[in-house]
Amino acid sequence: MKISYQWLKDYCNHNLSVNELSEGLTNVGLVVDTSTPIGDDYCLDVEVTSNRPDCLGIMGIAREVAAIVHGKFVVPDVDYDTTDENIEGATHVTIEEKDLCSRYTARIIRGVTIAPSPEWLQRRLQVIGLRPVNNVVDITNYVLMECGQPLHAFDLDRLEEKRVVVRCASNGEALVAIDGSKCTFTSDLLVIADSKKPVAVAGIMGGKETEVAEVTKDIFLESAFFEPRNVRKSSRKLGIASDSSFRFERHVDPECVDWASRRAAKMIQEIAGGKILKGVIDSNFIKQKKKSVSLRTSKLNNLLGIHLDKSEIKKILERLCFTIISETEESLEVEVPSFRGDVYREIDLVEEVARIHGYKNIPAISNIGVKLNRENKFDRVVVKAKSILSGMGYHEVVTDSIVENTQDKYAGIWSENNSIRIINPIRQDEALLRKTIIHNLLKVKKHNQNHGIDFTHIYELSKVYLGQKNGELPEEKECLCILGEEGFLPLKGIVETILLNLNINQALESVPYRSDLFTSEKSAELKLGDQAFGYMGELRKEVVHNYDFRNTPCITELDFNMLVNLANFKNSYHKAPSFPAIVRDLAVIASEETRWADIKRCIVSLKVNYLDAIEFFDVYKGKQIEQDKKSVAFRLIFRAGDRTLRSDEVDVYQETILENLKNSLGIKLRT
Amino acid sequence: MQEQLVDLQNQAKNDLAKAKSLKEIEEVRTSYLGRKGALNNIMKRIPGLSPEQKALIGKLANKLKVEIDRDVEEAIKRLDLTSEVPLVMKGEKTTAQDTGGVFDLTLPGKRKPYGHLHPITQTINEIKRIFCMLGFAVEYGPEVEQEYYNFDALNVPQEHPSREDFDTFYLDNKLLLRSQTSTVQIRIMEKKKPPVRMIAPGKVFRPDTVDARHASMFHQIEGLMVDEEVSFRDLKFVLTSFSEIYFGQDIKMRFRPSFFPFTEPSAEVDISCSICNAKGCSVCSYSGWVEVLGAGMVDPNVFEAVGYDPEKYTGFAFGLGVERLTMLRYGIDDIRLFFENDIRFLSQF
Ligand SMILES: [Zn+2]
Repeated sequence: MKISYQWLKDYCNHNLSVNELSEGLTNVGLVVDTSTPIGDDYCLDVEVTSNRPDCLGIMGIAREVAAIVHGKFVVPDVDYDTTDENIEGATHVTIEEKDLCSRYTARIIRGVTIAPSPEWLQRRLQVIGLRPVNNVVDITNYVLMECGQPLHAFDLDRLEEKRVVVRCASNGEALVAIDGSKCTFTSDLLVIADSKKPVAVAGIMGGKETEVAEVTKDIFLESAFFEPRNVRKSSRKLGIASDSSFRFERHVDPECVDWASRRAAKMIQEIAGGKILKGVIDSNFIKQKKKSVSLRTSKLNNLLGIHLDKSEIKKILERLCFTIISETEESLEVEVPSFRGDVYREIDLVEEVARIHGYKNIPAISNIGVKLNRENKFDRVVVKAKSILSGMGYHEVVTDSIVENTQDKYAGIWSENNSIRIINPIRQDEALLRKTIIHNLLKVKKHNQNHGIDFTHIYELSKVYLGQKNGELPEEKECLCILGEEGFLPLKGIVETILLNLNINQALESVPYRSDLFTSEKSAELKLGDQAFGYMGELRKEVVHNYDFRNTPCITELDFNMLVNLANFKNSYHKAPSFPAIVRDLAVIASEETRWADIKRCIVSLKVNYLDAIEFFDVYKGKQIEQDKKSVAFRLIFRAGDRTLRSDEVDVYQETILENLKNSLGIKLRT
Repeated sequence: MQEQLVDLQNQAKNDLAKAKSLKEIEEVRTSYLGRKGALNNIMKRIPGLSPEQKALIGKLANKLKVEIDRDVEEAIKRLDLTSEVPLVMKGEKTTAQDTGGVFDLTLPGKRKPYGHLHPITQTINEIKRIFCMLGFAVEYGPEVEQEYYNFDALNVPQEHPSREDFDTFYLDNKLLLRSQTSTVQIRIMEKKKPPVRMIAPGKVFRPDTVDARHASMFHQIEGLMVDEEVSFRDLKFVLTSFSEIYFGQDIKMRFRPSFFPFTEPSAEVDISCSICNAKGCSVCSYSGWVEVLGAGMVDPNVFEAVGYDPEKYTGFAFGLGVERLTMLRYGIDDIRLFFENDIRFLSQF
């Protein structure tokens, strides 16, 4: 809301400089965004929060200034002389929609001379960014900006039968508005009509045909209260907004309706000549009672953490035009002025006092004391997992949960349900909540590749959004998605490292998994124990091609909450072995189908004495190896807890193991 | 000759198995792989062979060299397990005895890759750390929400503009993407009796057209403290303490009245602009102040919604924008950088 520094002085006498004024207003909640010098005046741009429509007029802001400086608030005089002619004979007003228009006033000024406004009036409007039109239109704008009550002046002679009907439009009725926009109405829109046709969109804009022009002699001056929601709805629907609709939407002061009408009529008579007809048409259906609210001083002081005595509180409220009706030792009964629709509870009065007393005068001291928090295991696991990933050179990324519709295609890893769809997306082709992070990471890789970085080691820990049951919230699955460029096993190694360092004992199982994303060879569903844990695979050629990648990344997506649930931070210490181990490195020939898991299980199941660990080295297929066979190299580590093992003992165990591998899996030692 | 090579490998293995110190292992290595070693002796005979033989033996010899090298390394590892000899650093030739050679000390060090946490995570972590010192627990809530938690329970009137579809993303079945983390306040208060002291970081969504200052997804941190006799003074203390730690003691904090449906009295909180020392610059729109968070005393209607007695309990809530704080802190001028995830950007934090 733009205000003029000089104009403001009409209503309150203050000696504040522009900077002091700006600071003062900001401190009571009316932030002054900018102050721009214009001639000998300044235009201040004041941010008015939606709860304070009373400050959408310069007088409202002046009232606050008066409260700040302990000054006097001056309301302009609206008494005027009239002709003997009575308004009743000159026009007629019918309100068909009392709910949508709960007060409507009309005054008539006969015999005006339409001309440019006087210099001072034009200048004031220009300072706040309004373009002067003619004296009558300028006056309605002036009064609107002064008190926040929108007004409209019709050319009385152009109103069919010189009458006004406030009614809903018929479907298809139309109107060309003052700004030239053409409105076609539906039956839910409120219009101001004459006996035949709409002449204004109620509360939003007048029609071109009945606007005040040079030839205009008699003025029909409208000042009304239109229901806020309906004005907003109409404004949206028609796509037009104005200074009027802006204020009606935010609720004008019903008691100001008539005052504004008087003020404008008086100014028209003084500036544009003519005579005001006697009386007013005032259809008032508002049954507003005076509101009173009680305020306990103890409540106020406890909530703010200050010590104001009752008389100080009283003074502040009175400066804001509240009336103290009665009081007890402990509390005040406060009558709320009609323009403060936002105040109706004790807490609202507390806020008023706090504002004017000044937030800066509330000390920042406290004795809130210690509070112990229970450990947040989720956060703890997050920190650990991320630190492992950092240490391995993986960068964390953050990407959008809203994804392109095309991503639904490869997104079925956690759920076959359709993706959750946004009804009002910014772009129609980006309307889904992701069901996997994989595509986001691929896009990040693509972005980096476009900037010359071919190898991106990245991960994201975030939510995916799975199927939606009626009315219930969808499952939001916390997933850890990792993209690596070193192949399948190094990526699996990262997952293993995370499991190991979270002391998760459940074995990581990899089961073949068919997916449109991954190659048929390197694609696994991961399990922990027998619970589904996630997916891992090497990107399929077609996908690599679609993204135009220069190399083939591997990706895994894990159910992070399983890690959180299984992580164990209470593991106990194991003493490092004090006796040396005997290590045997073996290379065996096995059939190609034999999996490492089989070999390992076969060895473990023997429960050979002193076998401390089995470590895999590598698999080799090639010239020296028969077709359909492979060479598998691994290491057996034998160790006793209480003595040094002898080589010949270990020979026996090793023999047992080899024997068993031969018998159960047909595996031979490579020679 | 092939057989000789195989023998050589077996011999080497045996010798290595017997070696009991680094020195002995090194001796074994030189005797096979050194300039006058056994392998080289065999290699010297290659020129006299037929072309096929040349290729075959050459290949085998190379393979042998690799394998003996591996055995040597294994032997060293084993040594580490079984003796007191200190571990040798891998990857760089050690010079146990002074050879008088010249080592270029100015060569750059060899770096391991280090992964960075996303700046948004770092900001959240930092804020969590500070509020944890003040006794605030960290809580989380769902991102897909019911209107009740995003609006109704937070005292947002039915016709409030924030409910309109250009301010909130709607899904089917009257669900929405939360437009603020204040939803978590309600969920926690429904579950717990006072005292409550919590912060809730997380993603929020708004249908803003994406530009340098707007993203349709961003992060907020909500804070809430409820107990008997919690006052505006406590709110000022907590936020001022936070500011002193996060922004530093030279930064001033300003509380000014504002309006939010779920708090009353409400405040917007500014810090003095560190870029221009509060003298006015483009970052602070020449006001010397930068808005950093919104706060206020919890509105009694919110307490009613969660079944707290507003006569018995009072509390404050605050909410801050993670991207905004991060941008202020590092001088980042485009919010989109956070979601592009350019490694050259991420590596700077
Ligand atoms: Zn600045």
